[in-house]
Amino acid sequence: MNKCKLNRDDWAAFLSGDLEEERRKAMAEHLEKCPDCRAEADAMRRVLEKTEAVKAEIREAVASVNWEALPATIADRAFAASRKPERALPAARSLGWLSALRMKPALAGLTAGLVVGAAAMYFALKAPGPRPGPGTEYFASGEFLDKAELEMARRNTLDYLEKSQYVLLDVFESAGEGATAPTAFSSAQARDLLSRKKYLNAQLERFQMAKAKAICDQIEMLFLELSQISGELPAAELRKIRGFVEERQLLLKINLVRKELERGI
Amino acid sequence: MDERKATGTMAGPVEIAALLERIQDGDREAFMTIIRLYQQKVFVMAYSILRNREDALDAVQETFLRLYQKAGLYKTGNSFQGWLLQMAKNISIDSYRKHQMKRREWETSKPLEEIPVAVEDRASDSAASDLRSAFARSVEKLAKRQKMVFVMRHYNELQFNEISEAMRISVGTAKSLHFKAVQNLRKWLTPDLGMQR
Repeated sequence: MNKCKLNRDDWAAFLSGDLEEERRKAMAEHLEKCPDCRAEADAMRRVLEKTEAVKAEIREAVASVNWEALPATIADRAFAASRKPERALPAARSLGWLSALRMKPALAGLTAGLVVGAAAMYFALKAPGPRPGPGTEYFASGEFLDKAELEMARRNTLDYLEKSQYVLLDVFESAGEGATAPTAFSSAQARDLLSRKKYLNAQLERFQMAKAKAICDQIEMLFLELSQISGELPAAELRKIRGFVEERQLLLKINLVRKELERGI
Repeated sequence: MDERKATGTMAGPVEIAALLERIQDGDREAFMTIIRLYQQKVFVMAYSILRNREDALDAVQETFLRLYQKAGLYKTGNSFQGWLLQMAKNISIDSYRKHQMKRREWETSKPLEEIPVAVEDRASDSAASDLRSAFARSVEKLAKRQKMVFVMRHYNELQFNEISEAMRISVGTAKSLHFKAVQNLRKWLTPDLGMQR
């Protein structure tokens, strides 16, 4: 085919069936003479014949649809959506909300925080303290609310400490192997934990939380350093952080505080 | 279907523009007229991409619902059919991707032996359908634009100028993509077709 005088354009035009009369004649003449091109044209024709099977399948599918009924169905759907704007609008808006959430991890985080808080509140209300008996009016004493708040602080701190441990262990492991790869990941996590700490601060101000506060503040400093690392962490830097953690026995202390928190203060 | 095609070509650009204007005013009858004129063409487009009747019908509904919302965006100078089919094409491709993702999840969650080996499992398992599915697989394998042109030309039976409108490419590009597609298919299918070369 390549050595023949037929070029790509000729073939393309031949296939699309809109070869001008003159070129069509020339091509037909050439095909008579040239067995190679004739075989090529036959092969292409046979390929196109294969589309018949698919076309038959499509025709079958087309025949199976009730075309009389479909327009009304679609119109119903379209008009149902537009006729009740007071119902359709909130739906559209709520979808917009969803995508906004997807766009903003911070907002999503905040929502998650609210959910966690609500869950914590539920447990707080459920677990300790005297409950108002049946028949009595709902009553939340200052003492009760105080307890609930403390419980929430306790749980949030526990969560925070647990996550911190993971990050620290992560850093430890990479320091042990001398690898620096996971630091970008850890620094992102460290930043995440730093923002959590901000929310936690108010809760840590309670005197019952003094011990937890001390350790949380120490970890915060560590994370502040970790979060400022961009890209690769030099091995020396890593060793320094590791040394800091080991010197103060931070992991051990975290464990102790966690145990204490778990037992309830 | 031929009869419908005839009515489809009878609706000139002026009529279409008038119908679209009425649709924007909330005219149900006008909307249904447009659907009646183009539903089968949209279905064939969706079916050639999705190869599943229910998915294709969903895509048809989706396409016309979008048309209902966006009737005002149609520019009178352009081909309405090209515009509509382009919308149908995009919706079908989106749906195909979604289904493919689901299928993959489903497949990875299954033990290896239970995964169907053939891509096209819908056709009956006769010997004739072996070749048919080999062909379907080869079409799947084509580069995206080659595949689109091939599908539109042969399954939708569109003219090259209609393809060029729906794909927003020149007629020349459409023809040359078509040629490349046929050439590739011919190359891949030669053993299956029992051709000596």
